[in-house]
Amino acid sequence: MGKIKIKKLKFKLSIFAGRSISFILKIFLKSSAGALPGKVAMSIYPDILKEVDHRCKKTVLITGTNGKTTTNNLLVHIVKGKYPRILSNLRGANMPQGLVSAFINDLKEDYDWGIFEVDEGSFKRVVRDLKPDYVVITNFFRDQLDRYGEIEKAFQDIYESLEPLHTTLILNADDPLVSNFKKLGKKNIFYGVLENQFCDSNQNVVETNFCPGCNEHLDYSYFNYGQLGGYSCARCGFENPERKYEITDIQYQGENYRFVLNADQNLKDFEFKYGGVYNAYNCCASTSAALEMGMDLDTVTQRIESFEYKLGRMENFLINEKNVKVVLVKNPISLGEVLKILAMDDSKKSLLMILNDNPADGADVSWIWDAEIENVLQAKNLKNIHFAGRRPHDMALRFKYAGISTENFHIHENIDQALDKILYEDVETIYILPTYTALFHLRELLNARIEGKGRTISYFREFLKNLKLPKS
Amino acid sequence: MEINIFQMYPDLLNLYGDLGNVTCLKRRCEWLGIQPNIVNFSINQEVSLQDGDIFFIGGGSDRGQSLIYSHLLKYKKELEELIEDEKIFMAICGGYQLLGNKYIDAEGNKMPGLEIFDYETKSEEGRLIGNIITKNTLGLKPDTLVGFENHGGRTYHDLQPLGKVISGHGNNGKDEKEGMVYKNCIGTYLHGPVLPKNPHLADYMILKALEKKYEIKALDKLDDKIEYLAHEKVIDLYSP
Ligand SMILES: [Zn+2]
Repeated sequence: MGKIKIKKLKFKLSIFAGRSISFILKIFLKSSAGALPGKVAMSIYPDILKEVDHRCKKTVLITGTNGKTTTNNLLVHIVKGKYPRILSNLRGANMPQGLVSAFINDLKEDYDWGIFEVDEGSFKRVVRDLKPDYVVITNFFRDQLDRYGEIEKAFQDIYESLEPLHTTLILNADDPLVSNFKKLGKKNIFYGVLENQFCDSNQNVVETNFCPGCNEHLDYSYFNYGQLGGYSCARCGFENPERKYEITDIQYQGENYRFVLNADQNLKDFEFKYGGVYNAYNCCASTSAALEMGMDLDTVTQRIESFEYKLGRMENFLINEKNVKVVLVKNPISLGEVLKILAMDDSKKSLLMILNDNPADGADVSWIWDAEIENVLQAKNLKNIHFAGRRPHDMALRFKYAGISTENFHIHENIDQALDKILYEDVETIYILPTYTALFHLRELLNARIEGKGRTISYFREFLKNLKLPKS
Repeated sequence: MEINIFQMYPDLLNLYGDLGNVTCLKRRCEWLGIQPNIVNFSINQEVSLQDGDIFFIGGGSDRGQSLIYSHLLKYKKELEELIEDEKIFMAICGGYQLLGNKYIDAEGNKMPGLEIFDYETKSEEGRLIGNIITKNTLGLKPDTLVGFENHGGRTYHDLQPLGKVISGHGNNGKDEKEGMVYKNCIGTYLHGPVLPKNPHLADYMILKALEKKYEIKALDKLDDKIEYLAHEKVIDLYSP
């Protein structure tokens, strides 16, 4: 057989193997399959990402610390208003294997757009095979997983791998670390969020101490969150670059938020179902990208208004006539911001915090001490605070030392037990904030309750998960 | 009664939630009826160290650490005198390394320390990361200390350690020692932050400060149910 034939065969085999794995996982674990099928396929045919690149007419990559998954889902939802054939890793599997899994599960000969979120650590590897037309960079925050110089490394890696590429950068103007990418001399499009009623007066973030231009302290006129805000350096003049797209105002109206968008001097406002300044950034990033990709402003804002989150990173359930809000928390910044939203919600409510310390959550739970848990002190009508997961006491301690009365603390053995309590309380709204590995288990438990199948399914899955298969 | 708690360079040394230790001391003082005054000391915020009762030094990024080193050097003699005078110090990770003679990185470059204590830290292959359980040398009950360590440097010394390693790595992963104690100065690699989950250590520091300032010999008991549940949980999950 010729070389090309073997290559083709290997490619077909890799797709077949990946799809088989995916099929098995779906049947037996009802799992979304994640990165495993891609991993198997890549082990057979390592060049498979090049094939993905070949089949997508144009591609967009989204990277940064926070907001990748939301921005990706938003952008795909918007762009679907015009282009039906989009390949994307919507479920947040953002390493090379994850991208390949998305391809295997949605196999087509060609796509109008490939839109992918990419893990900061995988960016270098991904752009080796996948050449993006646009790259969106959201922000760089210290993660609980890697707070030891790795933010600098991620930054450096992305910076260097962008250097040889012909691509347009869509950059968050309000993060000094991100706006610094303008030094690459690519085509830069900046977006950002102006001062608004949700701003903080102060942020204790170490990044604000170092001007990327000269290492001096940065002056801030306002903070949106983390080191995002209006900054300037008295010494070298480094400051927010001029934004082509900006959210100029945020209003809170009952259940919804109203954002005013200034898109290249055209004003347009739209409603969004999910709160928080970080969502203003997600909206701004995705609208900027969509507009740059050639969509018109009316379609973009119409699409964004119809966006529904279906992923648990931010998901609303209706159970026992209560509004159950599930929001993934994965680092101090996101946790503080979600609690700020809770504090602004006047409804009668309870809160469940689920803290795990598995590798994907961060084995070190000390990050919760860097989060503004004190935001809870502003909350009205907060009835009970429940704790579950592998490290519930650590989280309870953090709440205690924030100055919150322990009277209404409830620490549970497991998530199911916590749900038995919280779902039957006399409240209108329930906030559940799980860390990464708790999220999937939680969703299953909630869905099982909605489907009315009790706990049989989740017990069965639990059983399967713990089943020790003989090693071959 | 009041206690002045100095947090050193909170804007530059605030990795791994270690400032939670100051929050912990502050709250426990309040619950004990003692007024805590938190004082920030930093590059543009120089205040007299003489007023401090408890000093807290955390660790930072390489950049932050080198910035503070040249600044803190001016205060070396004063710090030494305060430590000799039995003031209460807690230095964690980078802060602990900083009190020694030097830090030798992977390429063999030497970064000077404050030379207050006679020890050095060497960067060796691989980081020492994970939950850690030690047996404390201070005679505190319970005798365990728990935390999370994450350091590339290995520290070697013959001083009294803070704890003997039961599970985890400690100072260098070899001699079973964790941290150091000299008079009322404690150096340790324990993050977590260490004090909320080890309230006996927190109260030890508060009592030492009150003893020195007001000749007080004992503290009231606080309700530490959640604190010890968190402490026990680490032992349950990560004992050898
Ligand atoms: Zn500057």
